[in-house]
Amino acid sequence: MNIAHKALWALALILAACSVQAHIASNGFLNIEVDNAHLSGSMELAIRDAELAVGLDHDGNGKVTWGELKSSQLALQSYVLGHLGLAGNGAPCTLAFGSVKVNERVDGSYLWLPFSADCRDKLDTLRIDYRLLDAEDPSHRGLLALTANGAAQTAVLGGSAEPRQFKLKDPLVWSAFTEYLYAGIWHILSGIDHLLFLLSLLLPAVLVRQRNRWEAVPVAAPAFVNIVKVVTAFTLAHSITLSLAAFDVIRLPSRLTESIIAASIIIAALNNVFPRVTEGRWRIAFAFGLLHGFGFASVLAEMGLPKGARLISLVAFNLGVETGQMAVVLAVMPLAYLVRSTVFYRRAVMPWGSSAIACLALLWLVQRAML
Amino acid sequence: MSKRIGRSRASRGRLLGCIAALVNLACVCAHADPYVPRSDDVVLAELPPGTRSADMSARQLSRARVDVAIPLAQFYIHQSRLSGDLRFLGYAQAVLAPWVAKEPAVPEALVLQASLQQSRHEFAASLATLHRSLATRPNDPQALLIRATVLRVLGRYAEAAMACEEFSSLVEPRLGMLCTQSLRALSGEADSAYSTLSQMSSQGWLNSEKSWLYSELGELAVRLGRDEEAQRWFELDLKLVPGDFYVRAAYADLLLKQHNPLEALALLQGQESIEPLLLRIAIAQKQLNDPQLAQSSARLRAAFAAEEQRGETVHRREQARFLLEVENQPQQSLAAALENWELQHEPDDVLILLDAARACGRPEAAAPALRFARANHQRDVRGVQ
Repeated sequence: MNIAHKALWALALILAACSVQAHIASNGFLNIEVDNAHLSGSMELAIRDAELAVGLDHDGNGKVTWGELKSSQLALQSYVLGHLGLAGNGAPCTLAFGSVKVNERVDGSYLWLPFSADCRDKLDTLRIDYRLLDAEDPSHRGLLALTANGAAQTAVLGGSAEPRQFKLKDPLVWSAFTEYLYAGIWHILSGIDHLLFLLSLLLPAVLVRQRNRWEAVPVAAPAFVNIVKVVTAFTLAHSITLSLAAFDVIRLPSRLTESIIAASIIIAALNNVFPRVTEGRWRIAFAFGLLHGFGFASVLAEMGLPKGARLISLVAFNLGVETGQMAVVLAVMPLAYLVRSTVFYRRAVMPWGSSAIACLALLWLVQRAML
Repeated sequence: MSKRIGRSRASRGRLLGCIAALVNLACVCAHADPYVPRSDDVVLAELPPGTRSADMSARQLSRARVDVAIPLAQFYIHQSRLSGDLRFLGYAQAVLAPWVAKEPAVPEALVLQASLQQSRHEFAASLATLHRSLATRPNDPQALLIRATVLRVLGRYAEAAMACEEFSSLVEPRLGMLCTQSLRALSGEADSAYSTLSQMSSQGWLNSEKSWLYSELGELAVRLGRDEEAQRWFELDLKLVPGDFYVRAAYADLLLKQHNPLEALALLQGQESIEPLLLRIAIAQKQLNDPQLAQSSARLRAAFAAEEQRGETVHRREQARFLLEVENQPQQSLAAALENWELQHEPDDVLILLDAARACGRPEAAAPALRFARANHQRDVRGVQ
């Protein structure tokens, strides 16, 4: 709705006044559940749409009553038979109808027509040819909710489109898994704040603090242990809070979490310049990792978790985050190990790199907390 | 309006609200699932004009005769505009289809097609259709006005001004003034445009023209912070055109902004079936902790879900507000507001993006809208100073 609507209203398109109806396009709701070779479901059509298709208002008084709808059941059934084609594994399924009921939706009453069908054999594919209201209202669409093998999928049918073929072998779970895996990877690689926090904790992992100076670790083993401890602690912590938030157990205002995430980077980075915690940095990783988990959760909340694949999507997102994180650790840490004993690393990268990270994070903190 | 009248109206609203709540509660319990009505006489639907199966014969006729098709399509588009019912746009589309597909197309059919595309927020398609129509009939005021308004919604003010200018040279001066002044109001000259428009005498105007004037003035007054005047313009308009749901929504927003949910509910009484108005009802119910909120929210959620599934964007702005002000989901609201900003650039679009970004603690996310508003020197007391 916008002002253009008003301006156009002023044009000479004036005719009789009219009653008020809903602000919504025409939808039919098709629910189908598949269980082996058996298929059951319902077709919901707005009374107004059914009137256009088959004519329900027998006495012509402009009102459709329950009595009129009931007496039109046969006409309705044959209309649906003629305009909704279902075929399992290539062979048509013959529909049998139950008795009509009424359902209420935002834009008024709908007729609700249950049906069932036994197809020839166990369904691997279902082909749907939806042609309801094609002639009467080209903007009509069929909103499909299809459940098979415990997985749900949705689709928009109609609009003179070609018949659609649906695969019934857990398509949703797999596609949700890859989608959320990529989302996790993308988020960690583009959300530079989480990486900076982790790097601030990892930079000193190839060093050891001795006599108030950073010295290179003599062999790889302690550096490796350091890295594993920090990364594991961070992962564990943010997985916990991400799961809690994703399942709505705990929720924090995003302004607060985003601000604390910025603060955590400052603390981790400053700890490299003015070391306080030199042993057991994994504790910092764990404590603030909890907060970073809430940060991930807000991304997930933006995407929403698909019904029927909530857990798998959450796991996939988390795996994506770990994958992205490991990619960065594997790219940066061997390099850090190689140059660990140079003056450049110990006197430039450590203090000045960390300070730069702290400054950037301070800027974020101000932005997120104050504005 | 005096305070006393305001209060009595509010308390009446509360009483009616309570009764409606009880009735509705009973209905919800009984009808959460498909049900069998109590008796054969229960009326399930009242058919608006032009939607009976008997009316399909006129549609049949319209396939062969353009002199039937054009008025019939006009009728449907007008019905949709009066009622906010998008179904009518589908009927109009069906009637226009053969005449738009024809080569060369019938210009009147193209203009009507552009108008229905605009109503569906298919702005690019609408401009393309207008381009086709204006190529054969460059001096068509109706096509020029639709073009001006579409460009205005898109925030392309310079092009909109050109269309307005051409429009002005073809119609009564008052209509030209309305087009150009309301555009000036969005381009840094809000105060002067407001005083020009409010000094226009609407004597002898058509009701529809008056309604256009009042709603422009009302909206402008809201942005300028002249709340009392805005209220006056909105009431003038609603007295003239009670079915003007666009102004009713704007008026309700003003009342909600003033934390006056009871009066907003009274204003929206009985308008639940219109999605944008149901949104305002839900916001008011939320402010009042009204138990009916659950039902309103459920209906809105279902409606937005259906729209999203269809890939339509007509109510993206309403959806963003719903997520922010009713559902307390600022992140999702921001996503919807950003998507909405990609589609259209009206002052309310700036506002919802600002609100959502602030609620997320990510004010920088609203930067594009803020840049746009500042570049056009727009002022809006509700958000952009």
